[in-house]
Amino acid sequence: NKKTIQGMASSTRRTDILSLIHLRSDGRRPHEIRHMSCHLGALPSTTACGSALPTSACSGSSLVTMGLTQVLCVVKGPCDVGRRSDELPDRAMLEVNMQTAPFAPPGDRRNVNPTTDRRLIEQSHLLQRALSASILLYLYPKCKISITVMVLADDGGRLEASINAATLALIDAGIPLKDMVCACSAGRWNAGGVDEIVVDLNRREIQAATGTGGGGGGGGGGTSDTIYLPVATMPQRGTIVLSQCESRLSGGAEALSLVLDAAMGGCQTVMEIMAAAVRAHGVGLSRAKEGRARVMLNEW
Amino acid sequence: MVSSAEALYIIESCLEDFRIDGRSRSEHRPYAISSRRSSSSSSSAKSSRKNDDDGKYDPVDSVASPLVLSNGSSRIHLPGSSTDVLCSVKADLVRPSPSRPDSGVCELSVDLSLWGGGGTATGPSGGGAARKRRRQREDESEISSLLSRLVLPHAVDYARLVVWPGRYVWRLSIDVVVLRADGCVLDACSIAMRAALIDARLPRVRALIDGGGGDGMGIGGGIGEGGGKGDLLVDGDIGNARPPPGAVGCPLVVTVSVLRAPPPSTYPSLRQYRSVPIVDARAEEEACASSRVCVSVDPDGVVCGVHTLGGGGAALSEDGDMEEDDDDVCVGNTGGGGSLPLAMLGDVVTAAAVASRNLYSLLDGDYWGDGKRGGANCEGVKRNVSVMANDGGGCYGHLLKGHFLIR
Repeated sequence: NKKTIQGMASSTRRTDILSLIHLRSDGRRPHEIRHMSCHLGALPSTTACGSALPTSACSGSSLVTMGLTQVLCVVKGPCDVGRRSDELPDRAMLEVNMQTAPFAPPGDRRNVNPTTDRRLIEQSHLLQRALSASILLYLYPKCKISITVMVLADDGGRLEASINAATLALIDAGIPLKDMVCACSAGRWNAGGVDEIVVDLNRREIQAATGTGGGGGGGGGGTSDTIYLPVATMPQRGTIVLSQCESRLSGGAEALSLVLDAAMGGCQTVMEIMAAAVRAHGVGLSRAKEGRARVMLNEW
Repeated sequence: MVSSAEALYIIESCLEDFRIDGRSRSEHRPYAISSRRSSSSSSSAKSSRKNDDDGKYDPVDSVASPLVLSNGSSRIHLPGSSTDVLCSVKADLVRPSPSRPDSGVCELSVDLSLWGGGGTATGPSGGGAARKRRRQREDESEISSLLSRLVLPHAVDYARLVVWPGRYVWRLSIDVVVLRADGCVLDACSIAMRAALIDARLPRVRALIDGGGGDGMGIGGGIGEGGGKGDLLVDGDIGNARPPPGAVGCPLVVTVSVLRAPPPSTYPSLRQYRSVPIVDARAEEEACASSRVCVSVDPDGVVCGVHTLGGGGAALSEDGDMEEDDDDVCVGNTGGGGSLPLAMLGDVVTAAAVASRNLYSLLDGDYWGDGKRGGANCEGVKRNVSVMANDGGGCYGHLLKGHFLIR
């Protein structure tokens, strides 16, 4: 483009060069998600190690890395509810806690108190609602399933990574699910006069789209054309479990449906990666049962 | 919870110098450390480790530290057991405290929220959960205060963390997240801290104070190169990033548990207790300990601090009953105060010093880099085992059999 060639003489930034070839700031194409890796059983449960303290173990755990965002999820349950008044007579109670490690934000270190941070509480509730749509809660009346999510590194998209991590941890714990809940975000912005729909935004792109940090603070702000939409779906059933949009849609309903379609495509990709991870884990377990397993160190 | 029969068995086996997992009294468990330098991975990482012996810090590794957004991080885990500790070091430049204007600052925080498998931090909680939370916070503060007393004063060279005396110093924020610990929480935390500090990379920052001479990080002044007076020149090349000065001298904490066998019942008049110190106790062994001593030793063998913790959670009273205990106690002093005869203190500290020497050689000697990967690499395993057997640090080969996870 002509306008960028003049700018190249003085100080070319990497992002300028990348935008010339229609790549995003980290070198991805608009419909590509970040490099995702899933690891089931990151904290081994009691059966894997011979420890004599079953109370300090968890039923299932998983570690999901999407780009630079890393989330660890630990599932405990189904177990007894502490208080009789909390138990539900016909289904299990799902308790979700989301915490951020103090070293999670890429800039400064911030101690976030999970009991008072509104954003974290909101995201815990969203996570709970998203997962209760999929867990077969009616199988465990008067019990409690507790999910704890710890965000180890936050580079944008922590809600989506948490939902993915929680799904994998529930699978690792053996809790029956209707379908895997996969989450991905999508957005739209104006790049050089053309509306571009992008999938799986990282922190910088979220900041550009919403005008504030993606993880902290409230939404709103940003220019009127930008949309940021995290979406969680059950891909095999084709149903949307969660979607959250805090931007003003100037293009009307068509803009929303375009972005939603892109997000569902992203969720489909995420599901393929997660399903492959689950199958690999299952293959390892079945090989162990037969005695043909390859034994390796439990590295993340 | 350990039953009295199990406790007797554990104590007797320790007296025989053959503990329940086959170790001797002063052997450490084979911890695996993932940090930038010693994570087990492909051979290119191995060869870069060879280059590190001559003092060059090789920044290009094919393996990243476990937490990429921190200046340094490490993960300690014990394969096959339930010890998992993450530590992260983040650095930034702050104003120094007015009372100590020419030394850097280290802050430490310990997080135990995932200790019990999570749950009930914010959700609907009953009385039991509130108590658990309070105890968790007490444990956290106890661990962090112990670590900051035993390890932090000697962790780095504070005087060289200064960038601009009086204006800017480095502040290292160390966060330890204990996911699980199977006995010896303090040991695991201190190993993680040391690995993370050695792994941390601080960029070279030069302060321009009137254009004086000097070079390197932390020794004030700088050559005036286009910046004005009062600027900080940050070298953005990660190849020039250096670990915090003095991090190699960070001490480690060794927890020595003293197990005390009750006198045999056939001689009730003989009130002689047989005590034995053991190093790196597992959770079951800690539960039978009558007292624990944490000794912090630095790589030169100098003892930097000694702290006595109380009993390990349950004490065998005379008639062999176990006192009641709560679950999930990691550091706490429940179940009767521990007492230690003065004569044993010398033995304990000596045992700790010896064990720490083994531990340093274990951590720095890079035993865990190769050979423990996959069934296809069995020659590597054999080679590794023979290397360890020849070295004075004890043979860990027989321990490795039970310590892996199935993939």
